[in-house]
Amino acid sequence: MSEKQKKSTRVAFAEALLEVGRVNSKIVTIAADSQSRYGQFVKEFPERSFNVGIAEQTMVGVASGFALSGYIPVVTSYANFLAFRAIEQIRVDVATEKLNVKMVGTDTGFSSQWLGFTHLALEDMAAISALPNIVIIDPADAVEAFEATKAIFDYEGPVYMRIRGRKEEPILPIKSRKFEIGKAQVLKPGKDILIIACGSSVYDSLQAAEILKDKNIDAMVVNMATIRPIDEKTLLDLIPSFTKVMTVESHNIRGGLGSTIAEFISERGINTQLLRMGVKERFGMAGSDEMLKQAFSLDGPGIARSAEKFLNEKFGR
Amino acid sequence: MNIDSVKLKSLEKLAEQIRKDSIWMSTRAGTGHLGPALSISDIIAVLYGEIMKYDPKNPSWPDRDRFILSKGHGCLALYSALAQCGYFDRTLLGEFCNRLDTMLPGHPERKLPGVEANTGSLGHGIAIGMGMAMAGKLANKDYRVFVITGDGELQEGSNWEAAMAAAHHKLDNLVVIVDRNKLQLGDFTENISQLEPLAKKWDSFGWAVKVIDGHNIKEITDVLSSIPLTRGKPSAIIASTIKGKGLTFAENKVEWHYKVLTKEQYNEIKDELSLEELAYE
Repeated sequence: MSEKQKKSTRVAFAEALLEVGRVNSKIVTIAADSQSRYGQFVKEFPERSFNVGIAEQTMVGVASGFALSGYIPVVTSYANFLAFRAIEQIRVDVATEKLNVKMVGTDTGFSSQWLGFTHLALEDMAAISALPNIVIIDPADAVEAFEATKAIFDYEGPVYMRIRGRKEEPILPIKSRKFEIGKAQVLKPGKDILIIACGSSVYDSLQAAEILKDKNIDAMVVNMATIRPIDEKTLLDLIPSFTKVMTVESHNIRGGLGSTIAEFISERGINTQLLRMGVKERFGMAGSDEMLKQAFSLDGPGIARSAEKFLNEKFGR
Repeated sequence: MNIDSVKLKSLEKLAEQIRKDSIWMSTRAGTGHLGPALSISDIIAVLYGEIMKYDPKNPSWPDRDRFILSKGHGCLALYSALAQCGYFDRTLLGEFCNRLDTMLPGHPERKLPGVEANTGSLGHGIAIGMGMAMAGKLANKDYRVFVITGDGELQEGSNWEAAMAAAHHKLDNLVVIVDRNKLQLGDFTENISQLEPLAKKWDSFGWAVKVIDGHNIKEITDVLSSIPLTRGKPSAIIASTIKGKGLTFAENKVEWHYKVLTKEQYNEIKDELSLEELAYE
């Protein structure tokens, strides 16, 4: 995999926001001292940029007021402070009414690094997914973050998109870059094991597939950028052909991708075994993202090791 | 502004009907926050009868003034006002907490014409109103946003986040009316978490403040006719009120936060207050 091209998902979000903001004058940004995440938009459209101070609840309430007045507000903050501090405003003000508010949680997964567990966002999707009506998106790389940002403004209704930090990340070798909400994409064909990943774990899953190839294990890798609504059609097409399915996410295994796939498999009665990779029954901790991914076995080698072990486990009891 | 005696009479009548409807709805349903509705009846009557511009036939008219009942539990008063102002037929009031998924639940929801925001969880209304006020300025519209909060509600920190930011953004098209009935669910506010000096708090947050008698229709009308109180500042009106106002045995009693009359009590006072028959179909 070429790593020459790199870009931060946060920068990509800001670039896409500027592009859609130039065309659609209804878009306004509301910040809770988080205006830097909106990049150039704030400089080009100061009259459509509002900062309410370090007050996430007010940020979401104000966004609701704008949405109820015909505007399309965006809110952003560290994902934990958006998804947890303001969860009740998201529930009562935004979700019940399906208000057209775009919520962007940043620095998700391990990308807060040394800021420690307060900032490492590993349960944000679980909080948001407990509430009806909200689309949840976790883009794999900067190009996808750019395309997804454009797509969420074409969609009418509340969206939670989780992106990462300023750090430049590899652009993935994906041919088709058309982004559709609720559409999964097979990035690598394979027949021995199905790896379904989202967000930054897509890169690590592709790395794992390379490692597995050397061990004669042919893994299929699917990018499930939309966690809700989940792409049931693709899941139904793919899962029954595999006896072993893995999910990989930079998130707790509850309330995100892993849970969603587990629910799907069990409720459809599909005869396959699932291994959920992610963070289990614990919070994050301070460390570089490489260290953290390694510690949670969510780097390429860690995922490959788990896949190999999982394949060798006897199916069923 | 000097309102004439005819107007004054009609506003008093509106307020009286709000009280009667609130008592009627809550007794029929056997549930409801009656005390907190009675304390805001006069303020709601002045807002809907005199101050706000709106079109009940076109509830989403972009230029309308907005009203948010941040203390959503006071909704009995709002429901009556909306019916009296023509947003829907009065017969709908009989639906209050009376059928599954009613349009008139125990806290107001936007599915009922005239309700601008879902409220019921305290501490949400000011921020939503703030967003509407900012949107109004951005769109060069001259509508105002009126928010009624409870006094106990002000113990929620989110109100003060929004208060700080609203003053910073100079939202002089935003008006918060505090229903200062001095009681909350469990006790007097000052026995639970002291609010006083309340006017000084709003003043120190950068708001123009006025303390009024929340049951004096003329005084309410006068102050709400002079919004903004100060150009460039949001307005905070602290309305001194009595919880349960109009029902002598309920006035200023903590238990009337979430209590309703029995049918026997209702029938006892029915003639004295000229209330409607409870009439169940």
